[in-house]
Amino acid sequence: MGKKYTKKTLLLETIMVAIASVFMIPMYYLVVSTFKNQQEIMEHPLGLPKAFSLANYERALSTMDYWRNFGNSLLITSVSVILVIILGSMAAYSISRHRSKLSKFIGALFLIGFMVPAQTTMLPLFTVMKKLHLINTYKGMILLHCNQCVFAFMLYKGFIQTIPQELEEAAKIDGCNMWQLFWKIVFPLLKPVTITVAIFNVMWIWNDFMLTYLFLNSSKKATLIMQVFNGMGTFSNDWSMMMPALVLALLPMVIFYLIMQKQIVEGVVSGAVKG
Amino acid sequence: MDKKGFIKKELPWVLFWVPAFAVYTIVVIIPSLTTIGYSFTDYNGFSSDISFVGLKNYLMVFKNKAALTSIINSLVYGISVPILVTVIAIPLALVLNSKIKSKNILRAVFFFPSVISTLFLGFIWKFILSSSSTGLINSIRFKAGKDLLLLLADPQWAMPLLILITVWASVGWHSCIYIANLQTIPPDYYEAASLDGASKFQQFKNITLPMLAPSMTSSVLLLLTGNLKAYDLPYALTGGGPGTKTTMITQTIIEEGVTSNRIGYASAMSFLFLLIIAVITVSLTRFMNKREERLYS
Repeated sequence: MGKKYTKKTLLLETIMVAIASVFMIPMYYLVVSTFKNQQEIMEHPLGLPKAFSLANYERALSTMDYWRNFGNSLLITSVSVILVIILGSMAAYSISRHRSKLSKFIGALFLIGFMVPAQTTMLPLFTVMKKLHLINTYKGMILLHCNQCVFAFMLYKGFIQTIPQELEEAAKIDGCNMWQLFWKIVFPLLKPVTITVAIFNVMWIWNDFMLTYLFLNSSKKATLIMQVFNGMGTFSNDWSMMMPALVLALLPMVIFYLIMQKQIVEGVVSGAVKG
Repeated sequence: MDKKGFIKKELPWVLFWVPAFAVYTIVVIIPSLTTIGYSFTDYNGFSSDISFVGLKNYLMVFKNKAALTSIINSLVYGISVPILVTVIAIPLALVLNSKIKSKNILRAVFFFPSVISTLFLGFIWKFILSSSSTGLINSIRFKAGKDLLLLLADPQWAMPLLILITVWASVGWHSCIYIANLQTIPPDYYEAASLDGASKFQQFKNITLPMLAPSMTSSVLLLLTGNLKAYDLPYALTGGGPGTKTTMITQTIIEEGVTSNRIGYASAMSFLFLLIIAVITVSLTRFMNKREERLYS
């Protein structure tokens, strides 16, 4: 923990930059390969492409129906995230401000279920979803992702307990009903948590594979992740086609990361959010 | 209080949690209870003729070699990843929290894999580690005139490679957790230790490591629970192979239950899996909390 930038620090810095470069080779390899044909990928795997050609991207775009899948991902993710925020914050407000026996019980029930991994309940979940006619529908996917509101509930609950109640009491005296009180006074105060909840759910829901794989198999409704997965099955040997498809599909999250980097890291740091 | 007044007072509060609870009931409560129920039957997903079979499904899990293999695989994977990540993430966090100038960009670099779908990370590494001469490693060997390696298709190497790739993918996220904790350690602790003539290593052992206990608790727990139930990355990378060398329990549950329709049997496996996770999580939480208390007192 030296205070000055010494020669030792310079050495450390050089080593770290070298390690970081090696760390990024997989990404570099993926991106650089998208501009090469199969032959060139094999002969010069790490070299820069001989000719900068977007032909592979054009072919991938036309085969995978990119914008449709992008739209599906966007629809499912945005609606789910908004609902997760609404459901989670409202429940957390009620459970932490109103300490009746029933609300304590419900709070405990949420806590227990938070620990049950979806992987262990997916078979009956399939039967339930079938009975509700929600398999292969956007509605069904959104319902499944909405369960992230339990995670949101935990974060909101911890935060609400730290907010003093005076403001709410003043508003009550002014004749606000609970609905107005929550949305006009309490919800704006929850903004830091809302940002964390939104960012992490965007990442998880956009990147979800297992639930989508089990509950949404029509290619018309497929998300970007799902479409690439399907493509890997069909075109597994055509790398010059699959690599650009992968890049195109992971691009939205990379852009999201570049814009939100500060908030993402703060979120990891503050809540120790599950990884 | 009369009944009407009670309802009027309680109702708005209840209405606030009902939507979340409804989703939770459909997605978690009903399926959890049904899993336990199914595990004692021979339900196959179609037939309405369901009979109670007692503990038969549970006994079958213990007799079935494939099921046991996948449980062991999940345990090996779920335990080695947290150990390796912790051993790497703490020194990494120290470096990324030091005086080096490029620390912000380095943090961004190491965090980067966490943003990408784990399924895609699996695919990318599949390209690199392909056993054909097209893969990155083998094309380099091919050019150098060396024999091609089996890599992911090698029964001995598949699991270690899978573990290393998972470490690569998670180390950035977890060093972030440690960086936050490092910043809460008062600098005068180190100053006092240096004045007393403590070496850098002694300072690390006696100040840094104990002070990192809270973040270690949360990081290790997240890693353990997350990797015991991993599905996407192993499935994308190896599909469970070669043979059953990297088949995780989650994959077996999906295959038995969804593909082969042996729902009763798969439910028994799910419930056992849930118990394993619960036992490990609870005992580790207790151990880590005791450790924190010991280190802080």
